[in-house]
Amino acid sequence: MGFSADSRARFNLEQVSVLMLEETPLGMSVLVQIMNGFGGRKLHRCDTIAKAEKVVRETELDLMIVDAMGRSGEGYDFVHWLRRSGVRPNCYAPVVLTAAHTPAAAVAKARDCGAHIVMAKPLTPRAMLDRIIWVARAGRRFVESDGYVGPDRRFKEAGLPKGVAAGRRREDGVLPKP
Amino acid sequence: MSESARIHVPDVPLGRLIRMPGGKTAGQAIEDAEKGLESLQAESMVELNRVLKSAEELYARAGGKFNAMVVNAFYDLINGAVGLPTASKDRAIDTMLVSLADLLDYYRTSGEWGDKSVQVHLSTFQLLLRTEGARDRDGTEAILSGLQKVSRKAARG
Repeated sequence: MGFSADSRARFNLEQVSVLMLEETPLGMSVLVQIMNGFGGRKLHRCDTIAKAEKVVRETELDLMIVDAMGRSGEGYDFVHWLRRSGVRPNCYAPVVLTAAHTPAAAVAKARDCGAHIVMAKPLTPRAMLDRIIWVARAGRRFVESDGYVGPDRRFKEAGLPKGVAAGRRREDGVLPKP
Repeated sequence: MSESARIHVPDVPLGRLIRMPGGKTAGQAIEDAEKGLESLQAESMVELNRVLKSAEELYARAGGKFNAMVVNAFYDLINGAVGLPTASKDRAIDTMLVSLADLLDYYRTSGEWGDKSVQVHLSTFQLLLRTEGARDRDGTEAILSGLQKVSRKAARG
């Protein structure tokens, strides 16, 4: 990309079409304030899976920020559906998956759903910007197999986003090889 | 037998779009986002107080023993609150919420219940909300470290 959240280079989110899936009103407000602060203007707010699926089918999207949606893990299921939906080009769009607390039983689901990266809450503007810049890197390989559809989880060439090694919890760590 | 996999490099317009002329520097973008979050502080505190009240009601409803319905509702409540204190820049409350979520996740999957462990988290929750903005940093860190030990100890059995 040529820049990070620490650089003086400019970046522009004005033309970026962003789907945001978050079920709690205040959680959505946090996300909206962060994205508005970054200059994002094309924000599609969804508080249910049904609304998010509708937006995916009807709008061309460049980035998705999807909440895991708690114990139900519906956010993981949404990303799983998206990757296999056949709705091009949205099925290949970068997905930042946010999670408050990942139940022990959902760790594998989080790892295998097909998100580009899982980000632990609380969300901070700096961490979010780092993740967006990281997922925007061109040339990332995409894997489609019976057991997994999503970005190549081997980070050998792309490296990890800043701060990930110091992640607070397990979901902020390195995803294992597929 | 190995499964077949198709590997390709799809076009990702995001990389091109964010490099279009105009926009903001990273520093400006982060500053603007933080200002936006500050506007949510009051709403965030109201919501956290509501969460504490609901948590205390669920704790009382558990009556000192495991109740699957109550523990699941309790976990959902706390899980939904993680990240809300971001708006008030209160990392201490988030740390407490994550510790409590860890604990409740363990209880709901093991079928056990540790009344005192939950109680100490709720007392801390109450204390952190009451002392917001006027806390001793070292003291707060010691309390949070203690809570995390409580969660880890419970998970070890």
